[in-house]
Amino acid sequence: MKQWLVGILVWMIALGAFASELALPKGVIKVTPRPAPALSLKNLDDETFTLSTKSQRWAFVHFWASWCGPCRREMPSIEALSKQAEVLKLDFFIVNTAETEDIVFSFLGSVAPDVNTLLDLDGLVTENWQPRGLPSTYIVDPKGRIHYVVLGGQNWHRPEYHTFLSSLASNPP
Amino acid sequence: MNVNTIRISQLSFGLIFPLLISGFLSSPAYAAPVRQKIDNAQLKMSITPRSANQMAAFYEGREFPSAAIQATRDACFFTVGIRNRLSDILWHDITSWKFVSGNEEVKLLTQDDWKQIWRQRGIEQRFQSTFRWTLLPDSRDLQPGEQQGGNITVPRSDKNFSLLASFATGENKKGKKYTVRFNNLRCLKEPTP
Repeated sequence: MKQWLVGILVWMIALGAFASELALPKGVIKVTPRPAPALSLKNLDDETFTLSTKSQRWAFVHFWASWCGPCRREMPSIEALSKQAEVLKLDFFIVNTAETEDIVFSFLGSVAPDVNTLLDLDGLVTENWQPRGLPSTYIVDPKGRIHYVVLGGQNWHRPEYHTFLSSLASNPP
Repeated sequence: MNVNTIRISQLSFGLIFPLLISGFLSSPAYAAPVRQKIDNAQLKMSITPRSANQMAAFYEGREFPSAAIQATRDACFFTVGIRNRLSDILWHDITSWKFVSGNEEVKLLTQDDWKQIWRQRGIEQRFQSTFRWTLLPDSRDLQPGEQQGGNITVPRSDKNFSLLASFATGENKKGKKYTVRFNNLRCLKEPTP
């Protein structure tokens, strides 16, 4: 009986992984894995965060700017998602592109005060990542390889994104 | 871009700049720009001239220094929107696009041209970066259903232009080529008071 239950469980996990491969949420594109460019930036509190190639977790790397309409609309759902970091077992690297601390501080203060954004003050880190537009999100495996690109602003609070992101921790690259 | 998933439909991505600048269009201070559109089975494309004051207002709002603002005033801006209607990849490469005035070809200002302008004027990197985001990328693949927006620029003049915009298709750009033409394009002047 126990073996039978284990068998069903394994089958369900495999099916879930297969299904998540087949049906990616809107805007999520699976790409041929490639090394992510370097990312080491400070936040508003002058703490440095570095994307590792020897991490225990997948990473959610997001580029935004306050002058970008879709970024502004998306930011509250990014904030809500980042609060789920422990549940999702994800590391978050939310990167503002080429704006001053003052602009970022006043923008986030009114829209998403709990977002821990990193500051790409001269925009060069963003340029190295070559996003197709802003906002752009990359899903990076624990070895520092990009597996998914997410184009444009999304409603990250929707269940399909939660399911997709939470499936990553159980899917080793 | 190595994309395994072929179809991207109804992406909300793109046309960021047109959305941003649309606020200016509702302002009574500006005459409505003449927007031209082409909509066929291959692509949907629009081109909208912007006045020097419209562009200056946008960049001043991003705290650009006056030397950078003056450089934008020396150029003529057109906001372009493109949507790929094919079930194949559509490529744009603005270095192959032709702006023609009479028999004379007018050179488009590329990202590299702007880098040089900023270097000559000693403009900080962060402004260069923000400016780059408002331009249509020089070259880009558009996946099926994907849209893209941004500005193209030429040196300011009073002439009438035609734009011949060509597009390659297919993963290796070896598919059928398409060309669209827009006539009677002009730099948008400020309305007279």
